Amino acid sequence: MAVPREGIYGLLAEFETPTALVHAAKAAHDAGWRRLDCYAPYPLEEAAEVIGFHRNRVPLLTLVGGLMGLCAMFSLETWISTLAYPLNIAGRPTYSWPAFVVPAYEWTILFAGLSAAFGMLALNGLPSLYHPLFNAPNFRSSATVDKFFLCLEATDPKFDRAESRAFLEGFQPNSVVEVEY
Amino acid sequence: MGHAQTHAKTLPADLNAPTFVRGWQARALVVAVLFTVTAVVLATLDHSAEHIYRAWVVGLMLCFGFCVGGLAMLMLQYVSGGKWGLLLRRPLEAMTRTLPLVFVYWIVTGLWMKKLYLWARFSDAAAALKAGLITEGEAHAIEWKHPMLNPEAFWVAGLICFAIWGFYTWRLNSMGLRRDTQDASTTPYWIKKTENLSGFGIVVYSLTMTAAVIYWVMSMDVTWYSTVYGLLFLVGEGYQVLALAVLTTLALSKEDPIKTMLRKTEQYDLGKFMMAFVMLNIYLAFAQFLIIWSGNLPEEIVWYMRRINGHWGVIATLDFIFHWLIPFAMLLSRDIKTNKKRLMRVAQWMIFAKFFDLFWLVEPNFKDAASNLHFSWGILEYIAVPVAMVSLWVAYYSWELTRRPLVQTNDPHLAEILEPEHAHA
Repeated sequence: MAVPREGIYGLLAEFETPTALVHAAKAAHDAGWRRLDCYAPYPLEEAAEVIGFHRNRVPLLTLVGGLMGLCAMFSLETWISTLAYPLNIAGRPTYSWPAFVVPAYEWTILFAGLSAAFGMLALNGLPSLYHPLFNAPNFRSSATVDKFFLCLEATDPKFDRAESRAFLEGFQPNSVVEVEY
Repeated sequence: MGHAQTHAKTLPADLNAPTFVRGWQARALVVAVLFTVTAVVLATLDHSAEHIYRAWVVGLMLCFGFCVGGLAMLMLQYVSGGKWGLLLRRPLEAMTRTLPLVFVYWIVTGLWMKKLYLWARFSDAAAALKAGLITEGEAHAIEWKHPMLNPEAFWVAGLICFAIWGFYTWRLNSMGLRRDTQDASTTPYWIKKTENLSGFGIVVYSLTMTAAVIYWVMSMDVTWYSTVYGLLFLVGEGYQVLALAVLTTLALSKEDPIKTMLRKTEQYDLGKFMMAFVMLNIYLAFAQFLIIWSGNLPEEIVWYMRRINGHWGVIATLDFIFHWLIPFAMLLSRDIKTNKKRLMRVAQWMIFAKFFDLFWLVEPNFKDAASNLHFSWGILEYIAVPVAMVSLWVAYYSWELTRRPLVQTNDPHLAEILEPEHAHA
């Protein structure tokens, strides 16, 4: 595996305000950093934007899942009603599509929902039992409470212990800590 | 929209509608005149004005939907609150103030009553049945429904409805203006006040609007009834009003003051809101169909048979595609909802779809067209007359837009909407 599993994971800077985080993240991205991430207690769209967060495949998975649910249920009902167990219901044709719409629609929603949830998990690597950032005590205690973090990861070619630390300290963070794997 | 902007924008000094709104008005008037001429030409080609009366109802329902539906949406905004109200409130107010024109359209419809409604043409159902002019079922329905469906009741119920809508229009509009003359300390008072008026108003609106659509549209087929009919039009009004209000706001955003006010966040929310109405609309329309199809009762199913058989199936299918599939598929996309130009296209399409749906609802009510879609010069009146009526209405609406500032200043959300996109960053 190319990713080192020992040594430093990255440098973690703690900020007091979201504005400071976004400011630092933008500067880092502009300086050429690509292996970096922001952590905040609540969704921070601006932060995602400035570090060049790109589109993911969740919408596509949801669409495909929904269409699969639609086709699956509609064909199941068609098969049951016309071939497997044809019944005369009020003299209607066995292929009575209006009656199939509601279950097919429900399955569309169900499959789309499940695809979105599981697709999201599959693509973001959750559930994850271990993440090196939790080795940092300040991250453990306040990343989900009231602090904003920027992590420059060691896998970035620009990473250099001393230089990167100086770079982060230029943004007046509360602290900059080294995170071990 | 800019990155890491930390400074709030300032409210433009001039909050009045930009001058190009006058251009809309002029253009709408020209279109109205052109299509009126077309309507007359078509009537001469057809040697009958029959289709003018029918198409008039489509035009009436479209304008009524914009005007009184706008009132409902305004009241809905007052009870629910939210930043989107700041963008839509003044366009919605302008829609409600077009009530006099809708009233005139309605009076004309009333004058043509005998051409449109069997119950008005044949007050003596027994005699008409004997003469072979109507079927036994129709005669029975006319007699049975006589207490509600008779010309006097049509006028009285209509006048009561218009009086009620007029009252709410006047109250909400004058309060909206008075609110702006007072300072921010009065904001909570105004929020409560409009909320209380609107809460009750929505209930009254639902009842009066249901009565109106029963008289004006549903009773064109005297034998048929559907309990969801009022609700179907209620949601349909939400559909067209939201489309027009969003279209107006996006078109106005080319210049100040709306240029400063409109952010991607709210535009995206409005797109989602449109999508909700697209869904609700098909939900009710399909529910009505499914129930009547399951029941398969002779007095109900005929309504659908007339609208499916004899090539009407093509129109029904297109109606489904135009009214639901296309806007739904478009509005699924986040990109389209956040793109001004594309969202405007969707809104325009939705207004067209509403018109198309009304054509499908109205025309098969009449003997010559039921289960028999065929070409005549007259059927083109469905383009000419509603376009002329709606254009005249749009001219009125544009003029109303220019009559007061486009932004309500005495509003708690004003500061928030002027902040940069992601306020916390």
